[in-house]
Amino acid sequence: MPSGTQARKYRLQGAGLDLALPYLMLAPGLMIVLGVLVYPLWDGLRASAKAYRYGSPIADVGLQNYMHLWSDAQFLNSLWVTVKFVALSVSFEAVLGFALALFCLHEFRGIRLLRTVLIIPMVVTPVVVAIVFRLIYASDAGMLTALSEAMGGGAVQILGNPLNAFIGLVVLDVWEWTPLMFLILLAGLQSLPHEPFEAARVDGAGAWRVFADLTFPMMRPVLAVAIVLRTIDAFGTFDQVFVLTRGGPGEATRLISIYGYDTAFKFQQTGYAAALFVTIGLVVLALAFSAIRLLRRVDAS
Amino acid sequence: MSTRLARILTTIFVLAVVLLPIYWLVSTSLKSNREITQEGTLYPHVPTLDNYVRLFTEKQFGSYLTNSLVVTFFSVAIALAVGAMGAYAIARFRLPFAAERKVGLFLLTLRIIPPVVILIPVYLLMLSLGLLDSWLGLIATYTAFNVTFCVWMMESFFREIPVDLEEAAMVDGDSRFGAFRRITLPLAAPGLAATAIFAVLVTFNEFLFALALTATPRAMTMPRGTATLIGRIDTDWASMSAAGVIGALPIVFFALLVQRHLVRGLTMGAVK
Repeated sequence: MPSGTQARKYRLQGAGLDLALPYLMLAPGLMIVLGVLVYPLWDGLRASAKAYRYGSPIADVGLQNYMHLWSDAQFLNSLWVTVKFVALSVSFEAVLGFALALFCLHEFRGIRLLRTVLIIPMVVTPVVVAIVFRLIYASDAGMLTALSEAMGGGAVQILGNPLNAFIGLVVLDVWEWTPLMFLILLAGLQSLPHEPFEAARVDGAGAWRVFADLTFPMMRPVLAVAIVLRTIDAFGTFDQVFVLTRGGPGEATRLISIYGYDTAFKFQQTGYAAALFVTIGLVVLALAFSAIRLLRRVDAS
Repeated sequence: MSTRLARILTTIFVLAVVLLPIYWLVSTSLKSNREITQEGTLYPHVPTLDNYVRLFTEKQFGSYLTNSLVVTFFSVAIALAVGAMGAYAIARFRLPFAAERKVGLFLLTLRIIPPVVILIPVYLLMLSLGLLDSWLGLIATYTAFNVTFCVWMMESFFREIPVDLEEAAMVDGDSRFGAFRRITLPLAAPGLAATAIFAVLVTFNEFLFALALTATPRAMTMPRGTATLIGRIDTDWASMSAAGVIGALPIVFFALLVQRHLVRGLTMGAVK
């Protein structure tokens, strides 16, 4: 920022009551955030160092809850399911979203309709998205079963089978969030400079060369931002699983958020669940900040 | 010619993938439970609105809808007012120790943490304040989440508005706050609208905290109320699909109405 603007801003602040103005304007928002977000964060940190029985703290246990996590087979399994879920969903969304964005880059009739319709999956209430997919997967009332029976087949089993249920969950997430990837990447593509592409066309470069040498390298920062955003978001996925499978069958779709929720509200192990959530929070923050640092380095070079 | 055909086919395929699931939801909601489970028809042979009527007469969806509207309205309105002021302070003032930038970064950090992380302590807080299963408990929670978002989004909008206009107003004798209220805020109205739209969307759709913080139709919101229909053994598909349509319809309609403003919020500002 040029120093002239800076100086002007200082002058703008003026004297007297105006000096207190920025603090007065920040205060209400900060008070709400401190009371309802920061205090609970701190409280969660405290709870994570305690053992609970029937919802009441009974003993200080220091870091034991955190250590116990790493020998808890159910926690490790939910972590593994979450990592698989996030990696698979976000990869498919990135590839499909990119393909769709490239497809829509050329103006043609019907593109407005396509863009409008693609808004729907990501604005529909996640709980309803899960209901929609239950209605598709259900072995008695499902669309897949109805289609299969219309073609002379039998009932289709999705949610009763561990592998199918997991794939079904990934399909749900891809259906819901590919449009977001698409929108971000399309905006990225539209903001690329024209000159390199015209030069490449004059040189007679083929479509694949243009993509590999120009489009993809230039799109890498946008792609990275989109993937980081989706990854952070996908880590916290809860609603869809809660309604679709409740984590089952067995532990096949039990994401870490579901396991944490059950630990807290079903098994009443408040302190242990708090430690679990603090750990998730730290993992996501670490992920986010290393991604930001990486992006900055890409920007600088 | 062949590229044209490929385009048409791809467009149709994408439209089908997006719309078929929605079609199935709506079509199921118009069938009777017998037609759904036993006949497995591909479209409602005997269309009926009974499922919808039952939601409001037997299942208290009137209360859920009212709760959702009240909670969404107040938490977004408060967050917008409070967030716009905070965002303005961060965008326009240079405080000692770069405090305004630290506050901005702090709020962004809070936003990155998945909400589920503070679910337990927020539940304990509302329990100790006696705010479980109440509008106030939900409004307080959603307002706080919305504030972090509003500050962060409004800040970028305020930065785009030139300072000169405020200066001119102050030369004419306006106070600093007066200049903000009479000059900057109206200019930022489109940004304010975009922020509000996204906040409404997220708040109306929120489920996790509604699940933990509410227990009766007194405070249950639409998504929370819809989830009560999911039985363990017998699933009432007809009611569930009708509830899905009612829960999704207002928000999809609203989103399509304002889709231009939506993209920025959905992409967390990655797209301007």
